[in-house]
Amino acid sequence: MLYGSVLLFALVMVLFGLAYLRPAWVTRITPSQWIVGGGLVLPIPILVLLTGTALVLGEQLLPKGDAPLRFKAHAERWQWTFIYPDGREMSDETLHIPAGQAVDIAVTSEDVIHSFWVPRLGGKIDAIPGHENLIRLEADEPGTYWGQCAEYCGPGHDGMWFRVQAHAAEDFTALMEGRR
Amino acid sequence: MTAMTAILSHPLVRLIAGFVVWSVAFVVLYAAQALGCAYGWGDWHRPILWLLFLLALVPMAWLALLGPRHDHQHALNMAAVWTNRAALLAAVLIFLPVTFASLCQ
Amino acid sequence: MSERPSPIALHKQLEAIWSTPPGLARLSSVNHTILGKRFMALALCFFGIGGLLSMLIRAQMATPDSAFLGPDIYNQVFTMHGTVMMFLFAIPMFEGFAIYMLPKMLGARDLAFPRLTAYGFWCYLFGGSILIVAMLAGVAPNGGWFMYTPLSSKPYTPGINADVWLLGITFVEISAVTAAVELFVTILKMRAPGMALSRMPLFAWYMLVTAGMMIIGFPPLILGSILLELERAFDLPFFDPTRGGDPLLWQHLFWLFGHPEVYIIFLPAAGALSTIIPVFAQRPILGYRAIIAAIVAMAFLSFGLWVHHMFTVGIPHLALAFFSAASALVAIPTAVQIFAWIGTLASGKPRWDIPMLYVAGFFIVFVIGGLTGVMLAMVPFNTQAHDSYFVVAHLHYVLVGGFVFPMLAAIYYWLPHISGRQSLYRLSIPAFWLILIGFNLTFFLMHLTGLMGMPRRISTYPSNWGWDWLNLLSSVGGFVLTMGFALVLADMVLQFRFGARFRRDPWRAGTLEWATATPPPSYNLASIPHIEARADQLQPALIGPTLAGGQGYLGFARAGEQETLGVNMVTGAVEHLITLPRRSYLPLSTALATASFFLALLFRLYWLAPIGALVTLGLFLVWPVSLGEKRDKGPIDIGRGVSVPPDAEAADNVTVLANRTALAMNATLFASLLFGGLFLLVVAPNWQDTGAAQVPLWAAALAILAAMSGAALAARARQGNARGGTTHLDLILAVLAQLAAMATTIAAVLWLDDPTGHAREAVPFVVLGYAGLHCGLGAVMSAHAFWRLTRGYISARRQTEMVLAALWNGYAAGAVILAFGLTGILAMGGAMP
Ligand code: HEM
Ligand SMILES: [Cu+2]
Ligand SMILES: [Cu+2]
Repeated sequence: MLYGSVLLFALVMVLFGLAYLRPAWVTRITPSQWIVGGGLVLPIPILVLLTGTALVLGEQLLPKGDAPLRFKAHAERWQWTFIYPDGREMSDETLHIPAGQAVDIAVTSEDVIHSFWVPRLGGKIDAIPGHENLIRLEADEPGTYWGQCAEYCGPGHDGMWFRVQAHAAEDFTALMEGRR
Repeated sequence: MTAMTAILSHPLVRLIAGFVVWSVAFVVLYAAQALGCAYGWGDWHRPILWLLFLLALVPMAWLALLGPRHDHQHALNMAAVWTNRAALLAAVLIFLPVTFASLCQ
Repeated sequence: MSERPSPIALHKQLEAIWSTPPGLARLSSVNHTILGKRFMALALCFFGIGGLLSMLIRAQMATPDSAFLGPDIYNQVFTMHGTVMMFLFAIPMFEGFAIYMLPKMLGARDLAFPRLTAYGFWCYLFGGSILIVAMLAGVAPNGGWFMYTPLSSKPYTPGINADVWLLGITFVEISAVTAAVELFVTILKMRAPGMALSRMPLFAWYMLVTAGMMIIGFPPLILGSILLELERAFDLPFFDPTRGGDPLLWQHLFWLFGHPEVYIIFLPAAGALSTIIPVFAQRPILGYRAIIAAIVAMAFLSFGLWVHHMFTVGIPHLALAFFSAASALVAIPTAVQIFAWIGTLASGKPRWDIPMLYVAGFFIVFVIGGLTGVMLAMVPFNTQAHDSYFVVAHLHYVLVGGFVFPMLAAIYYWLPHISGRQSLYRLSIPAFWLILIGFNLTFFLMHLTGLMGMPRRISTYPSNWGWDWLNLLSSVGGFVLTMGFALVLADMVLQFRFGARFRRDPWRAGTLEWATATPPPSYNLASIPHIEARADQLQPALIGPTLAGGQGYLGFARAGEQETLGVNMVTGAVEHLITLPRRSYLPLSTALATASFFLALLFRLYWLAPIGALVTLGLFLVWPVSLGEKRDKGPIDIGRGVSVPPDAEAADNVTVLANRTALAMNATLFASLLFGGLFLLVVAPNWQDTGAAQVPLWAAALAILAAMSGAALAARARQGNARGGTTHLDLILAVLAQLAAMATTIAAVLWLDDPTGHAREAVPFVVLGYAGLHCGLGAVMSAHAFWRLTRGYISARRQTEMVLAALWNGYAAGAVILAFGLTGILAMGGAMP
């Protein structure tokens, strides 16, 4: 997408420049060639392909079927509480998940709209009071990933950071067991 | 049909007719999508959307195939022809996802 | 008319009729040239304020962990920056530009409703002042420029801040609403004879489409603001999820306005480009018809993409797909225009001049903005970039590229028209480079910080993320950019002081505005031309002197009246003679009364608000007093051997068209309200297990019956009058019927349970309230027609007031039926799952 954009941008700029330099072949282009060529033939295939690909990709990212594990993220000004598949919480403002496996996170809010976003793991989903939204994420590698609230929610918005800790599968099981 | 063509003889009406139908179809399809999820239309949901999609295409195709009128507003009539064709194209491409995209998820 | 006076004598006679005297009398001005300039000057002031605020933002963001502004102030600063730039700069700027330019380009002497222009200006000034004063008092809005609920609802913004936004902006939007109606009507009805639609200059086409978009686009925002203010002031729960409301309703209403808004801002600027580029390409614009088709397509498509601002709120993928595809497709009409412009240059004999420099800036910046826009339209990418600095970068590329650069080109192109002097050209070139480089430095880097995960609207960021130097450079760029704008400002001032004077048409343009003298006289053209060709291929330098000599239509001063022409919407054949109202203090006093209404709401003096509203209505009823004719005059000479009837005797005059347009706008507002009610029923949480809101069936039946009889009687009065019969009785009965409908509707409202309990009661409360209000308005219109009838202003030929009464009463009846219909659906809906 990036290279495509650079290319298209360059194309438009070169044409604009050529309009002033006026080599003979540019002046021979007829009005309808400009409009049909530039306005229809050029963008339509690109846009159709791009949108089609994005929609197919979007379908694949949907939380379809049941993921093995389902967490809850509950936002409240200005912090996050995470509830684990076994229905319990941990008190360290960190979401612990297993690495290498898709997990579902159900996101809700207590008060205003927030948004759950872990930039390195994927897109964001809003936490809206009265609604519960589902997002499916997968951390390929164990490690720490930063997350943040991405919807402006008042004076504490800047500080609404949180941590996602991805553990190797066996460590994760141990962690869950260890809490009992 | 004559009442239709009488209204359509106004060049400004012809200019926007295709996209007005497009707008109505857009609202109807979006509403049918939401209602189907809220009231659980289940297996009927996608066929209904298909049907509405095809229904919307009929008047739009008719408008798109209508040639330019021949009176003194030549520029306007040609613009109307192209706009109505653009509306048809927009309808086909924008509503096409009813055939495959996830309905309620 | 007998002997033709000399051009100078004619100028003096016309000036005596049209001009506004200096001193305090300026407050009574209704002239579009003066008001257009006022709009633009005030918009530039607000641009300066918004620019200062953006400097504060960049100063704060220059370093990590900055303690310069604290979050409380910072939140007000960015909210006000966005709000000021969108509502107080961009929209009024193009309105002012169109108000100034359109009559001149179309060959009219003023807009259709000069006093309404003035009223709009005062609303803009007063509403804008409310926001600025609040900011200076430290209670500016702080919920972001789109004011998402519940953050902006009472529990989370208990202070006055959000009310300032809702009331101040709604007050300002009155000026957008009046401008939209007025420009729409003027373009359709007040062109020079012979200027068929298919000969109209493209700028007028762009503005026609823009005005049409405003008519449909602004009501959802106004409705949203009313509902949110009702929630904040009276606790009616439209957006509160615990009581059957839904925060998403606000987002739908806001973006249903908010996205088209972006195109509403872009189209006038594109219209300016389509006017400027052919002049410097020295050939007619290429693809006139294709451009018309493109802007119509763009206008409609832009209403089908609002949800792309809501891709992350949890909407099913199919719905996202509609909006994603529409967002991508809207790039096609844009591409058509871009290539039409490039093609025009390529196939002409382009010459360079300062305006073209800024046009080049437009191409560079806007194309990048368009490309990132297509990226954002893709759902998977959007969920990453949404609400990050990538979006901040994108929106500035689009707004600055698509509006500020074209406006700068327009300033260099048209300022000589306003000042009567040519630009000095010394400062404009360094200014351009400072702006272009400063802009890209500031905003290009924001793409990167956004992709690195920096969310927007944060007041500080920790320093260990690697964003520090990018932000610092961004801030440096911001200050370079500001220096560029300062140079442009200096250049403008210098031009007024030292620029060289010129005769007519310095650019060898093709549009009629350059046929006026410069600076333009108050009446624009001493006589109105007959247009035989496409009106962007005229020769103003040749036409100008003949028109000044009075050789067109209306080349004389008659009886101290302000006269201009009305034409057939499509063919441009001359239809009637329009006599415009004289200058007056009524717009100012009406706007002051309106201000008292808004201030009463703002300071919670709820007893005062209805008084303010009634005084405003009362003053509006005074407006028509000075208008109209007491006898049928028949055709009147307009010069060149043509005679046409006066507007009062024309069936299809501007007043009727304006009222139809206003009703279309009103209907959009009502439709948004009905949509809101159904949306809550279907989507909002907590609608199960609530008792249904019951309105007794007989009340509904009675109200509908009464409203329909009111409408039928008003319609019968209209027909009877057209046949020459007496219609006093019908009108009185119509008033009574409509009053009965109003009383029953209000009684039905009182029947409802406590509207603060649940949206199921709150929605019928406002819907029925709306219907009741319109029954009242219907009664007022019938009573007004009755009064004008007894005064002798109405005859079988002069039937405007009769038509208006029929229209408004018909509308009221429709509103009553739909209102009770929705109430019924909501009551039944409780049984549904
Ligand atoms: C003069 C140069 C400008 C600079 C340096 C500038 C800078 C900024 C910055 C840094 C933000 C992000 C604030 C944040 O997310 O915390 C912002 C937001 C915004 N700007 Fe500008 N801006 C400029 C001109 C404009 C213009 C000309 C417009 C519109 C015509 C505009 C409209 C907006 C809007 C709508 C927002 C969003 C406000 C919000 O998040 O509520 N800006 N601007
Ligand atoms: Cu938050
Ligand atoms: Cu948008």
